[in-house]
Amino acid sequence: MIGFFTGVEAFFTGLSRIHRLLPWILAYLLLLPLPFLLKFGISEYYVDLANRACLFILLSVGLNIVKGFCGQVTVGHIGLYAIGAVTSALLAINYQLPFWVSAPIAILITGLAGIIVGLPSVRLEGAYLALATLGLGESVRIMIAVTPAFGSSTGIMMIPEPKIGEFIFNSFESYYYLVMTCAIIGIYLSFAILRSSTGRAFQAIREDAIAASVAGINVPFYKLLAFVISALYAGLAGALFAHMPPGYLHHNNFTIIEMVTLLLMVVLGGIGNIWGGVIGAIVVTVIYDQTKDYYFYQPLIFGIIMVVMVVFMPHGIGGVVKQAMIKRKFIENQEESRGSA
Amino acid sequence: MALLETKGLSKSFGGVQALQDVDVHIEEGSIHGLIGPNGSGKSTFFNVISGVYRPDSGSSVLFDNHEISQLPPHKITELGISRTFQLLRLFLEMTVLENVMVGYHCHTPYGFLSPILQGSKVREADEKIQDEMIEMLQFLGLASYANLPAGELSGGQRRLLSLGRAIAMKPKLLLLDEPGAGLSPVNVDHLMHTILSLKEKYKLTVVVVEHILKVVMNTCERITVLDHGQKIAEGSPEEVKNDHAVIEAYLGREMADEDIRQVIRA
Repeated sequence: MIGFFTGVEAFFTGLSRIHRLLPWILAYLLLLPLPFLLKFGISEYYVDLANRACLFILLSVGLNIVKGFCGQVTVGHIGLYAIGAVTSALLAINYQLPFWVSAPIAILITGLAGIIVGLPSVRLEGAYLALATLGLGESVRIMIAVTPAFGSSTGIMMIPEPKIGEFIFNSFESYYYLVMTCAIIGIYLSFAILRSSTGRAFQAIREDAIAASVAGINVPFYKLLAFVISALYAGLAGALFAHMPPGYLHHNNFTIIEMVTLLLMVVLGGIGNIWGGVIGAIVVTVIYDQTKDYYFYQPLIFGIIMVVMVVFMPHGIGGVVKQAMIKRKFIENQEESRGSA
Repeated sequence: MALLETKGLSKSFGGVQALQDVDVHIEEGSIHGLIGPNGSGKSTFFNVISGVYRPDSGSSVLFDNHEISQLPPHKITELGISRTFQLLRLFLEMTVLENVMVGYHCHTPYGFLSPILQGSKVREADEKIQDEMIEMLQFLGLASYANLPAGELSGGQRRLLSLGRAIAMKPKLLLLDEPGAGLSPVNVDHLMHTILSLKEKYKLTVVVVEHILKVVMNTCERITVLDHGQKIAEGSPEEVKNDHAVIEAYLGREMADEDIRQVIRA
């Protein structure tokens, strides 16, 4: 099993030596026929599920940056998602802006909101920070729930679909290509950021903020930067969600339960592991969908899974795989050096 | 020429005066010892110099002709002061290589947004940094562990790594907080040898806090002694060794001078 993963990794590293974008293009091409396989293999419903999985990938990759890499416990991520969704929807409905204008504006506004959610992190840590961000996230939802202009209890309806010229993204299959492209670009960018000195700075802050500051890292700045980057992801996911057919938004999409689901994705997949976040998003979206009939028990099930994960597998699925791969490589290196000596 | 000069350096926590009017003068290129009983303010001194704590008003810390007493830690590191911690504070879940690369952070040749726009430039720069860091790890004897998480190293290796992280910051002044704590006497000698060769190789000025007096007496050119937050003596090892205030601080008033010399020699 681990041998398979090391093989895949070696293959992709080899490709990236030829050109750094090559593995990504290959992955993109492999994902192109997916909606048709799902549609004719199972049913069209699963294309919609794949779309939602892509949205959750964007959300969980973004949350992983701030929580997994920078170590800031935030429970306000879903509020940022809501801000992105509502902003883009209202801009499109009230000002007739096309998606390609309303979404970037929504992403920028969400980024600014990310600064506000991130500000408590400069002074607070751990559970206290979680409480502060929880308050901010919930207040966004309540704001939406009580303001008629934001949809209130009826929700926002008739949000126009994105279109290029005459082509309208109004079916599940066509929308898949939009969200999947965004998800792949999102994952690529998060790799690019987290493998650079910025990513190392985030991890150093997670491990030890004092040692990080003495190592020359501007800790408050990088904490806020992590919040802003994750907010940009949430804003993009929100805008894509708002315009997704059937074009309907309701504040029930942004409750604390959704936040717990999102946290579960990151925890299950692996805190501080980008692929872990992606795996977690896919696994949890499928579980969430398949257990819909028992939705009263869903929070209970998710809560139990989360506790079990934190106790027995604190680094999630991705962490276990990564650990095994590192060990294997180290042992191989030792044997090699022994062989040569 | 003095590289670091403190004047009237004070720090109080509520009612506790951790440092009181400490004047220290550290020559460029020297190796300077800082000793004192537990609770005498040695670590506070390091924390104030490196910016972890802000000193009380009226304190002045001049480093390389810059007033640094009110700067945040990362600015102080950029100016060229780096330090190790008594409890190491390594980034345990990051690899050994990443640990030293974090140390290199303030010399990164690209901005925080370039990973998005100039991927290949960032990759090239990172590879160059990696080569440089591997070379340094080889010097410390840690190169074969470069891709292991720092948490899997032994105690002695962790001490070396924390030293490596401090060196990666390319400092002019290196503050070492009890580098020998928890090491066997043989390993301490080995470590001091490494520190001296690093000092030569990177042209450092070193300030070292150490409880093992033999080490301090043998390696340091000048020694400052703190007690209860005040400087009670400063001078060459010989001068400090025979200073009455120092002997009193360490052993109390009752012991005769002769006994004390024996203790120190042992």
